Amino acid sequence: MKEVAIVGAGIHKFGRFPDESPIQIALEAVRMALQDANIPWKAIEMAYCARCYLPASTGARIGAALGKTGISIIDVESACASGAVAIRQGVLAIQSGACDVCVVVGVEKMPRGFMEPTTLGFEPWQVYMGLTTNPSYWAMNARRHMHEYGITEMHIAKVAYKNHRNSVHNPYAMYQKAFTMEEILNSPVVCSPTRLLEICAPNEGAAALVLCASEKAHKYTSKPITIAACVHSLPLYASDFRGPIYQLSAKVSNPNPGVVSAKKAYEQAGISPKDVSVAEVQDTDAFNELIHYEELGFCGPGESGRLIDEGATEIGGRIPVNASGGLISKGEPIGASHVGQMVDLVWQLRGQNGPRQVANARVGLGLVTGAMGHSAITIIKR
Amino acid sequence: MPGNEKAQKKQVPIKEGFFTMPLSPLENVRLNGSKCRKCGEVFLGKAIGCENCGSADMEELPLSKRGKLYTYTVIEHRPPGDYKGPDPFVPFGEGFVELPEGLRIVAPLTESKNLKIGMDLELVVHKLFEDANGNEVIAYKFKPV
Repeated sequence: MKEVAIVGAGIHKFGRFPDESPIQIALEAVRMALQDANIPWKAIEMAYCARCYLPASTGARIGAALGKTGISIIDVESACASGAVAIRQGVLAIQSGACDVCVVVGVEKMPRGFMEPTTLGFEPWQVYMGLTTNPSYWAMNARRHMHEYGITEMHIAKVAYKNHRNSVHNPYAMYQKAFTMEEILNSPVVCSPTRLLEICAPNEGAAALVLCASEKAHKYTSKPITIAACVHSLPLYASDFRGPIYQLSAKVSNPNPGVVSAKKAYEQAGISPKDVSVAEVQDTDAFNELIHYEELGFCGPGESGRLIDEGATEIGGRIPVNASGGLISKGEPIGASHVGQMVDLVWQLRGQNGPRQVANARVGLGLVTGAMGHSAITIIKR
Repeated sequence: MPGNEKAQKKQVPIKEGFFTMPLSPLENVRLNGSKCRKCGEVFLGKAIGCENCGSADMEELPLSKRGKLYTYTVIEHRPPGDYKGPDPFVPFGEGFVELPEGLRIVAPLTESKNLKIGMDLELVVHKLFEDANGNEVIAYKFKPV
């Protein structure tokens, strides 16, 4: 199989930008990625645009502002995993020989507050009955896991504490503020056991990558980053209860989508969990990060509380997770979130992340999970 | 005298296929489900196809009124969208209720305090609101026994 490399990475800060259109936000990320790869837009052969909340053909609008070169630009949607699926399409396009160089851009501009339920796929009856608070599904997942394995509210708060502290060094994060454990535990409860400072905000932002067939990457960079795996799965029957779900079998037991994706990704990359130097995972709520430790094999089932207690996932720990500050501090512009994870991991592997740099990072892993159980993982190596 | 007669309001289900009919009296109404004739998996309402085995061969199965709380949270803020619950908003429990038919369904709970995984719950079928045509829209929730 043809190898694919990342030769350029760019980002527009995540946050709220009332004076910028989504196209302007995306353009900043794409231009930064093109400049990073030292490649002009007119040399780009294809592009994929990940977005959920923006209008049809957003990618075409971004492309138009860069110059109408006539290339194929396709919008991609798969809930919170949209960015990963766009990267995957870029990888497949290069592997198929359809192109040698392509751009992947993720962008979103989302309103403040809980996500609009009908866009998420909730039906009118769920809206009327009040079953549309997206984080409530994460909270119910957390409550069940706590019941089965003894994870505590303190473990959850420790994840938020770590990620907020890491965010201080990330100029692209929406919130760059450390909080004390007391402040986190005293922040208002959103959906028990989840608190305000343990949850991410839907917001605005963009991130972009330039992908290139590895055999030609030397034309653009002396430090190509190889995409070792990029996988996407939907959940097996009865394996996930993320909204807008309203029922789940009590009889059938299947592995979580994260477990399935992790197995596929490690196989594709030819590595095991202990080979991962640094990971960015979907901490839409702090508890979710704990579940991902277990799904990714950073610890055994039910042992994620111990892992955070040991400090293993801090910068400087055995397996640093969300050194960027995670989505808890960056916010989650859905189309852009995974591409943003990968931009930060590219910088980690190039050793250019300053105070949040993980020493000698060789292998980076990004994971996203979303509505309908969309699950995706990208693994990169140098 | 016709003028004194109170117009009989019509009851309509919040989602077609979710309840046994008729919708009156409410205390006799149960949740209705579908059972796959091929693999036996059970779904709330009228299932189009079996998510487990792909079969379209379904039979109707009225669901038990009693269940157990599998997991829960408390909705502390008004849910997004056109929520038809009390205004001003009152926090409420939300949970997955495990029914003996082998199915867990998401439901509002009548209580927001003293919820406990494994507790026994009972179905409450109730009028949630009146729609634009003056129909009573019938919904469900669960209350601790």
